[in-house]
Amino acid sequence: MPAVLIGAVSAATTCTPMRLNDLGHLLQVMGTFLGLSLFSLGGGNTLLAEYHHLSVEQYCWLRPAQFADIYALAEAAPGPSSMIVGLLGMGAGWPEGPGWALLSAYGAEIAILLPSTLLMVVACLSWNRLRDSPWRVAFERGLGPITLGILFAVGVKILQTADTNAAGVFVSLLVCVLMLRTRISPLWFMAVAGGLGAFGLINR
Amino acid sequence: MTESPALSPTAPAPGLRQLFTGMLMVALSAFGGGLSAWSQRIIVEQRRWMSNEEFLTGLTVARLFPGPNQINMAVYVGTYFRGLGGALAALSGMLLVPFTLLMGVGLLYFEFHRLPELDRVLAGVVAAAAGMALSMGFKILDQYWKDPVALLLAAVTFLLMAVFHVRLVPLVLVAGPLAMAWYWPRPSHPPAPPAESR
Repeated sequence: MPAVLIGAVSAATTCTPMRLNDLGHLLQVMGTFLGLSLFSLGGGNTLLAEYHHLSVEQYCWLRPAQFADIYALAEAAPGPSSMIVGLLGMGAGWPEGPGWALLSAYGAEIAILLPSTLLMVVACLSWNRLRDSPWRVAFERGLGPITLGILFAVGVKILQTADTNAAGVFVSLLVCVLMLRTRISPLWFMAVAGGLGAFGLINR
Repeated sequence: MTESPALSPTAPAPGLRQLFTGMLMVALSAFGGGLSAWSQRIIVEQRRWMSNEEFLTGLTVARLFPGPNQINMAVYVGTYFRGLGGALAALSGMLLVPFTLLMGVGLLYFEFHRLPELDRVLAGVVAAAAGMALSMGFKILDQYWKDPVALLLAAVTFLLMAVFHVRLVPLVLVAGPLAMAWYWPRPSHPPAPPAESR
């Protein structure tokens, strides 16, 4: 079963990065995230598959395992998990050194937040008119099911990218069930699974 | 837990500096999770900037519009009192500490991720994180369970993305308007009286 899930990713071709100078990379990073900001439906996790496509397959900022690592770090760290974009930007700038990596990280985070923030400001100021508008009702009810479908696709994508052995896939499925059935903090799952990894029970 | 002071007068509107420090308090209190619960406790109960109803309206708007929910909530609170400047102050307060911390973690990661010991631990952590990602869809599945059209839309969206590798932006731009047309609010009595067109 895991082989089926993993097949698509392990066959990924080697990614050849575009030749850009430092500033070119930074502009590429910021332009990418500026364009995606308004598509972060349902709290932003809907963008994860697109982040994977861009950073691993299109621009070669990260290797697949690095993307999986970064996702886990962003989930484990305190604060909104959408801060993963800062880490993607950091990965993009890393070849140019830590200074550029930080600059790129801040640029990426500002870029992903700026358009949605401006729209949110407009929405707050005009909410009284928007509240009863048919556009609001149709948007809310229509985009909900699409968000649902995207989130399932994102889940499968992250599972493929994690690319662990059978024990790892079993742990993933178990964590999924526990997330839905219990109120245990996910940090415990990550700590225990990290331990299993340290002892070699989960590997990739 | 204090009783929620429903009748107490709300405090005067916060300035930019107070918005910044207030959201910073939320971010610091929420280490370990529960960000929306903490923002409610601090904004409504401790600082009394907003009534609970105003706060809940904010949550509705924050979830509806694109962008991360908690960050949108900060933008809502900031805009509510001080417009765009308030939004930026609240946002900075919310993000300053967690993002700085994450940048530290990121620099360490990119410097040391080739160490075999670290890579082994991360392999395990990644497996758990993948399980968390898988659970996201199931978490909101319940509310669509009785709507076959919604389930069909979700299934088609899933297949287009996961199997046919359709990219997010074109997918949303095509499927979004179709779904909105289907869910466009209609009059509550389907056989509409014909006289209304005049």
